[in-house]
Amino acid sequence: MIKNKKGQEEMVGFALIIILVAIAMLFFLGFYVRSDRTEGAESYEAESFIQTSLQYTTECGNFLGRFDVQRLLSECADNSLCGDGKDSCDVLNSTLKELVDSSWNVGPDRPIRGYDFVVNSGGRELIFLKGGNETGNFRGSSQVLPEGIEIFFRAYYIN
Amino acid sequence: MRKKKGQMKIQQMAFMLIAVTLFFALVGMFFLTVVFSEIKQSAELLEERDALLLVSKLSNSPEFSCGDAFGTSKTNCIDGDKVMALKKNEARYLGFWGVNKIEIKKSYPSGSRVECNSNNYPDCDSFKIESSSTETDSGVGVSNFVALCRKENFEGKIENKCEMARVVVYYGE
Repeated sequence: MIKNKKGQEEMVGFALIIILVAIAMLFFLGFYVRSDRTEGAESYEAESFIQTSLQYTTECGNFLGRFDVQRLLSECADNSLCGDGKDSCDVLNSTLKELVDSSWNVGPDRPIRGYDFVVNSGGRELIFLKGGNETGNFRGSSQVLPEGIEIFFRAYYIN
Repeated sequence: MRKKKGQMKIQQMAFMLIAVTLFFALVGMFFLTVVFSEIKQSAELLEERDALLLVSKLSNSPEFSCGDAFGTSKTNCIDGDKVMALKKNEARYLGFWGVNKIEIKKSYPSGSRVECNSNNYPDCDSFKIESSSTETDSGVGVSNFVALCRKENFEGKIENKCEMARVVVYYGE
């Protein structure tokens, strides 16, 4: 009877150790997953891509000359037309789509599986470009321009 | 009988010790996996930052940078006309940047994939600058985005024209 009780006590002790370690692991896992979402999402390549894209000379302009993407973003936010009558947002959309597609090799058999490119101005979405598929492993960058225009770029990598 | 009981006790304790050790070993392995994955992630980020810094250092050097020639001062902007001038004096800059080779590849718009020389510029897509006295293709290659700008005659006016390009720097070995 005593022998049986002693064995039961040992089993309870072992179970307690397992429960305590499991709780500690759950805490650690929860903390790790939460911190992973904010950190590690930064990408210097994405940052320099946004900066370089802003300097690209577009086909939209006025009598003074052709606009770069940064100027075209302002024109699009003001709903302006290009010198040749084209809608500035249409030109911006097609230019940015071609820039992203030619600079980031996206595909189901490539390391980069997809991307998101979003431009907002005063709470209004000016541009939303999406390519490929989303994955849980992503890196990106954002930039805010003086006119209150916000640019977000995110590349989704293989898991 | 007493001896047998003692042996049983020792056996019981040994099994318990093995079980506890195995359990803690598994927990330790789990923690190590998590810690090492974090180290790997930060190593990748550092590698990317180093690449960016090396490319930025080169593209912002006076021999390549746009300076104030295209309006306001721009970062990560390479003057195509300066690169053409540099190509003519390539031999003078051997070993100057401490890298093996510098390549500037236009990524958008790209078409012909032709290397630039004084005859076809600006209707070309890439520049190659040998920076090491030993002509080699080996070494680690790091790259980053830059704006490749030049002055262009557009409808009778001289305008700035900036395109998307990648600078690839080969170094080491």
